[in-house]
Amino acid sequence: MLKSQVLALRLLWRNWRSGEVRILAGSLVLAVAVVSCISVFTDRLESALTAQSHTFLGADRVVRSSQPIPSDWQVLADKYDLRTATKTQFASMVFAGNEMHLAAVKAVSDAYPLVGELTVSQQPFVTDKSLITVAEGGPPAGEAWVDSRLLPLLQIQLGDQIVVGEKPLTATRVIVDEPDRGSSFSAYGARLLMNEADLAATNVIQPGSRIGYGWLVAGDENNLESMLAELAPKLTSHEKVVDVESAQRGLARTLDTARKFLMLSAMISVLLAGVAIAIAARRFANRHVDQVALMKSLGAGCSSIRQLYGIQLLVLGVLASVIGLGLGVLLQEVIASGVSSILPVALAAPRWTSMLPGILTGLVCLVFFVAPPMWHLPTVPPLKILRRELAVNSVSFYWQALLGLLAMVVLVAVFSGDWWLSSSIILAMLALLLLVAVFASILLGLGQRLGRRAGSVWRLALASLQRNSRQSVVQMMVFALALMLLLSLTSLRTTLLQDWKLQLPPETPNHFLLNITPSESPQVAELMEQQNLNVQQLFPMVRARLTHINGEEPSEDIRKQAEMLRREVNLSWSDRLNSDNNVVAGEWWDHWREPGIAGVSVEAGAASDLALELGDDITFDIGGLTLEARVASIRTLKWDSMNPNFYFLLSPGALDEFSPTYLTSVYLPPEKKPFINQLLGRFPTVVVIEMDRVIAQIQAIVAQVSSGVELMLGLVLLGGFFVMWAAVGSSMEDRMQEAALLRALGSSRHRLLGSLWIEFALLGLFSGVMAAAGSEILLLSIQYWVLDIPLSFHWGIWLWGILGSALLVGTLGVLSCRKVISTPPGLMLRELS
Amino acid sequence: MLEAQTLSKQVTTAAGTLTILNEVSLCVKAGDSLAITGSSGSGKSTLLGILAGLDEPSSGQVKLHQHEITALNEERRAKVRADHVGFVFQSFQLLPGLTALENVMMPLELHGVANARGKAEFFLTRVGLNGRLHHYPKQLSGGEQQRVAIARAFASEPDILFADEPTGNLDSETGAHVIDLLFELNREQGTTLVLVTHEQRLAEHCRQRIRLEGGKVIERKPCEAA
Ligand SMILES: Nc1ncnc2c1ncn2[C@@H]1O[C@H](COP(=O)(O)OP(=O)(O)OP(=O)(O)O)[C@@H](O)[C@H]1O
Ligand SMILES: [Mg+2]
Repeated sequence: MLKSQVLALRLLWRNWRSGEVRILAGSLVLAVAVVSCISVFTDRLESALTAQSHTFLGADRVVRSSQPIPSDWQVLADKYDLRTATKTQFASMVFAGNEMHLAAVKAVSDAYPLVGELTVSQQPFVTDKSLITVAEGGPPAGEAWVDSRLLPLLQIQLGDQIVVGEKPLTATRVIVDEPDRGSSFSAYGARLLMNEADLAATNVIQPGSRIGYGWLVAGDENNLESMLAELAPKLTSHEKVVDVESAQRGLARTLDTARKFLMLSAMISVLLAGVAIAIAARRFANRHVDQVALMKSLGAGCSSIRQLYGIQLLVLGVLASVIGLGLGVLLQEVIASGVSSILPVALAAPRWTSMLPGILTGLVCLVFFVAPPMWHLPTVPPLKILRRELAVNSVSFYWQALLGLLAMVVLVAVFSGDWWLSSSIILAMLALLLLVAVFASILLGLGQRLGRRAGSVWRLALASLQRNSRQSVVQMMVFALALMLLLSLTSLRTTLLQDWKLQLPPETPNHFLLNITPSESPQVAELMEQQNLNVQQLFPMVRARLTHINGEEPSEDIRKQAEMLRREVNLSWSDRLNSDNNVVAGEWWDHWREPGIAGVSVEAGAASDLALELGDDITFDIGGLTLEARVASIRTLKWDSMNPNFYFLLSPGALDEFSPTYLTSVYLPPEKKPFINQLLGRFPTVVVIEMDRVIAQIQAIVAQVSSGVELMLGLVLLGGFFVMWAAVGSSMEDRMQEAALLRALGSSRHRLLGSLWIEFALLGLFSGVMAAAGSEILLLSIQYWVLDIPLSFHWGIWLWGILGSALLVGTLGVLSCRKVISTPPGLMLRELS
Repeated sequence: MLEAQTLSKQVTTAAGTLTILNEVSLCVKAGDSLAITGSSGSGKSTLLGILAGLDEPSSGQVKLHQHEITALNEERRAKVRADHVGFVFQSFQLLPGLTALENVMMPLELHGVANARGKAEFFLTRVGLNGRLHHYPKQLSGGEQQRVAIARAFASEPDILFADEPTGNLDSETGAHVIDLLFELNREQGTTLVLVTHEQRLAEHCRQRIRLEGGKVIERKPCEAA
């Protein structure tokens, strides 16, 4: 028993030495490496992103409530070993001397924030990073930390006193960034952050005042879930658990596309490696028929042969998987270290579970690609040793291909969790193979006729293709397949990168200006004009509450799913559509026939939440006044376009009587950043929301992920190379034999080389044509169904695919045959016999 | 040692049933030698395959070293081959990826023989190849390759050795050398030899000779057998 294992290892070593298992091992390693690299990396990226969005909450979960947080909740949190903090938010007049301002006050407990960073500075409107520090908690009792703009608004300096209700606090820091600020426009007043301990003394919390309470929780995810499950029955309709989904849609989308692309590359490289493995395994098996026949004639039984080869494969598989896994983890570490400096949060440590797909890949490749061609080896009759011509029963090429494809579907689907994507790729591959089989036969027939009339070198080449027609067809299939996948991936990458750039075109507005009064608005516009800033439209805006739909109060069901019913929404009007808005139902104002009441255009998501249809009447409460409007159109829009966007856009003039304020967005290049100070100096009540940091972050991440994508592409190309190499190699013996014979018969080296080149270049050319067609179809469907980006044709793949393929395959063929050309024919024949 | 009774072999082809062997009987004693001759296509290789337990006859029996191998399944025949049988082939059948030494070690390793390396070296030295242990088959001449094959066959010390045209691919001088080697080892180790050949010279070395034609024994020397 032990002896046969030692023998198996020894045989494996000898096979390795004679080069027979190298392509096999190389492809296995590559497959495992690529898969584990990508799965480990995306897993880390995903957990980092989740963590990042947690920072936008300031916690892992927040329970929002309009009632004070019951004290028994804390007991529950302690039971599950969770960290907690509380916050209380309300709008309140704050005073300094004769000045006052309606501030957005937030009182927090000492532990705040649980996740993410609260950054502060001693200097208002700071841009210098070295002056910004990370606070270790909220402000201590007796202090207030404030938005920079509150200082000019109240005409005070840091160190001066601000009175909140009845409690005087000392303004000690300005807030640069707080994790749970949110990007909603409801942040009207300037922020004032204070300690919860001072809250009672302010005396602002009276029955009936509108207060938002938040209970922040963080800790182990399982414990969190258990705690929330236990908490759920206690929650009333006033309370709502907020998780991380809602955070940062734009970045999430970009990264999701990137993740999909990486997945796609992984799948494609696994497919390529699978093909290479299958070819190499087939070749290995063919070469070992004689060895097995010999061993059987020497008395080795079927079972011991099976054992010998089984152990070899197992050891090879395990070794390749381990090496592949190691390489993959190393590689993702390289990518990760490049990305980590830009990601807003540290990447999570690699998890063991994310290495499973890699190991699984090794196993699947072993079972479905390596084992089938080897399966018949133990049944090779010993008589084969006496009768060379004896047929060996073997798994047919087509069965093997089918089995492999099946394995691929499963692997790819399990791996990506995306059955759609994997089956479309596999279908495209099947279609391509069919196409190739048909066209290759036709082309070969055509070639034969042409060959009769051609010069001698061409005749030689075409005749050789013709003679090995079965093999030529199979080779063309493999080349075309590899090329199709490579071409698709390369141009997909280009499309993607362009798409990402399109998402955030240069000069995307990176600052929002809100709360501009009607009298200020011409002056603000003028000031921006003076600074050569690109002034967008100034949108009027009023805060309103949706009270009735078709004269009735919204039902309980609608109330549950439409969060906007529980808070105020922003209304605006406009006579032109933002470029990212699309009317999907009804008419925009230019075609709308006024029915005698105001019209409103509703965002599609809001319309479905509220079950609104065209022609419905909705009633808004605007500071005690009512406004009725009829739904005139439904719009889709892109929230991540950085343009001011509204759920409800009214018909022109409908809001004029409701004293709107104005808002706009503007692109400020870094050197024009001081404009904010100038603006706020003149118009202290204007609110500026700075999006530039977020945008810079998104762009940096996109750049890094792009380079990760390029790296992947390199690996996939390597996989493609393996396939081609394996395919060229698989026919090499026959071709060498022929070439050696021809040389022995006096054919010149030149002629031989020329004909070999032509032979392989033709193979490459045919494959290129079919690969280009296949990948065009595949690309269009991926664009349409998977990535959801605009369709575009790819003339480049036709040009480069066909030319490159002819050159590459031709060169590969000549390179692997160069031995025949350079060795004296006599010696060559002896080596080959 | 080896006894065959009324061996017949038919195969069905598209053109109908083809009789390759027709009631062949023979008997070889331990330490003896038998040559099977005949023109091409007369059924020599087929007979050898059946005698060695590589193939099954359509009818008749083969007894090899007390085992009636025609009654055994392939797995059990393999065991008999492992214990008693060695082969030398016309086309040498060396594994191209292995060195001469490893080729000889192969059956020993397969049978789990202790000190396979030492034994292999010993037999390679016996056939005069001690200087070429680590050469690959393609670096050796045809005669040298056949000597490696002979070393491989004798290294497992078989009771009976089957050879199908062992000199077929060699020039007459090299062939003569290989023949000498075979019989030298036959004498030393008492190995029974069964050879297929169409070379008169080789056949004459053997104590027994049969001649096949169209699957039938048409000549038998000396006549006492069967
Ligand atoms: N399985 C088979 N199917 C059809 N014909 C067969 C089969 N096995 C052997 N034959 C035929 O039987 C005849 C004898 O074959 P065999 O190989 O035994 O001849 P041989 O005497 O060894 O010839 P040579 O000297 O050329 O090696 C040949 O004509 C061969 O074609
Ligand atoms: Mg023969």
